[in-house]
Amino acid sequence: MMNCIETKGLNYHFSKNDQVLNDINLKVPEGSIFGFLGPNGAGKTTTLKLLLGLLKNQNGQILFFEKPFQENRIEVLKNVGSLIESPSIYPQLTARENLKIWQKIYQCPNEKIDEILEIVDLAKTGKKRAGKFSLGMKQRLSIGVALLHDPKILVLDEPTNGLDPSGILEIRKLLTRINQEKNTTIVISSHLLSEIEKLVTHVGIINKGNILFQGTLAELQDIQNQQASVIFRTDNLKEAFVIFKEKGIDSKIENDKIILPSLAKDKIAELNKELIMRGFSVFEISQQRNDLESIFMDLTK
Amino acid sequence: MTFIHAIQAEWLKTKRSASNWLSLIGGFFIPTIMIIGAFYNGRTINDAPGNGWNIVYSNAWQNMAVFLLPMGMILAGSLITQIENKNNTWKQVHATPQRFTTVFFSKFTVILLMTVKFFVFFNIGVLLYAFLPTVFLEGGFPHDSFPFWDVLKLNVKIFVACMPILAFQYLLSLNFKNFLVPIGIGFLGLIGTMIAFTFVKHIYLSPFSFNLYALGIKKAWFNPSFYAMISFVVITAISYFLYMRKKDKG
Repeated sequence: MMNCIETKGLNYHFSKNDQVLNDINLKVPEGSIFGFLGPNGAGKTTTLKLLLGLLKNQNGQILFFEKPFQENRIEVLKNVGSLIESPSIYPQLTARENLKIWQKIYQCPNEKIDEILEIVDLAKTGKKRAGKFSLGMKQRLSIGVALLHDPKILVLDEPTNGLDPSGILEIRKLLTRINQEKNTTIVISSHLLSEIEKLVTHVGIINKGNILFQGTLAELQDIQNQQASVIFRTDNLKEAFVIFKEKGIDSKIENDKIILPSLAKDKIAELNKELIMRGFSVFEISQQRNDLESIFMDLTK
Repeated sequence: MTFIHAIQAEWLKTKRSASNWLSLIGGFFIPTIMIIGAFYNGRTINDAPGNGWNIVYSNAWQNMAVFLLPMGMILAGSLITQIENKNNTWKQVHATPQRFTTVFFSKFTVILLMTVKFFVFFNIGVLLYAFLPTVFLEGGFPHDSFPFWDVLKLNVKIFVACMPILAFQYLLSLNFKNFLVPIGIGFLGLIGTMIAFTFVKHIYLSPFSFNLYALGIKKAWFNPSFYAMISFVVITAISYFLYMRKKDKG
């Protein structure tokens, strides 16, 4: 799969002692929904602003469809729609008037305005001014602005910020539809993995200006499986612990249970058989999996 | 074509904005007061000695151009840029496929066009001041012929005198997000220039001095309109340079 966005050795600092990004090498595959995750202040917005040319690039290279951004800024931006931080709308204007402004700039057909108003479900807002919209409506209008010129890439910086659960669900549905119907590559940043794990195909995790993980959601789930553990509850924890140690398994006793690393099913059955043969009463064998959120927390610690 | 579309987009942004209301209210403010005065005193343009139009226009501009017009220009030059600052939309504008030069000059063109609109409203207001009292008090029209070229010349002269103020305010509002900073600096600059105008030799270095020269408050040893144009070009060039060098356009 071709990467539609690639950064090579991206560095950025606001002042000499304030390094914000360190050697960022992002790879966003075409057609993917790339979740760009990190806690507040990790460097997500700075990275996205650099991608859009809103910050002057200090060091490193940014490529869109293998073309350097700097030399091809206008051509690249014709294919990119964006929403950075808060919604960018003119509150004294209606939704239609807001879209009309961008329609003039992108020089796309007038009919696109009606189409976009339908897509973002704002067709019935009529003469209501955008300043009187709910946050969810403003956010949808901003996504509409980003979509107006049928971009190949959408860059969205925390588009669900401040939205209630139903608002988040609406945006998620909308983005999934756009990705599936138009094969639009979407880069979406968030500080909550749980908020976007149902949406993304790829994930990049950033903290303190460093990329900690980059890959598919399945690869992140593999880490999740590797970090899973097996729990044994028996009538004699200390002796069971010694048996596991003899078998070369690194376990630990925690409260009324023994925690073992992730094991294959037959290995678990073998250990169980061994304990029963030695006269132990086994009350519980269970598998404990860390959710993606705790992996994210571990990575960003 | 891109530039024309950019101007159209910028013009749309001013719809129902404060700058739009300012041009309407500001343009009609002095003529409205003059109309009320005319009805109150029962006087019309036909009562003036000589060509009434010249006296009407001279009075109207005297009232307008010394303080109110520069104040209006300070606000207009700042308010249009403030649309982007207030709504946090610069990031969206700068992420569009437009050259930064196009963004800079399209917005500046709209500020100039808004000023033209202000002048148009003002002139309509003065015409109403001339016509309404004669129609309602005398049941006729002004007797004197309308000195079209003189009026146009005076308008152009005052407009050119305002251009350095617009360029200066645009420069300030591009560099200070807080609306009060450009307004405050502009206001202090205007008051300071008015105070220093008669006794400071090089007052023409102030962008706020040219409207005072245009009204003939002090005799100039140079052509004020020519100097105003030079001032306008220099300030615009500095403004453009600073804008292009801005590291953070978000």
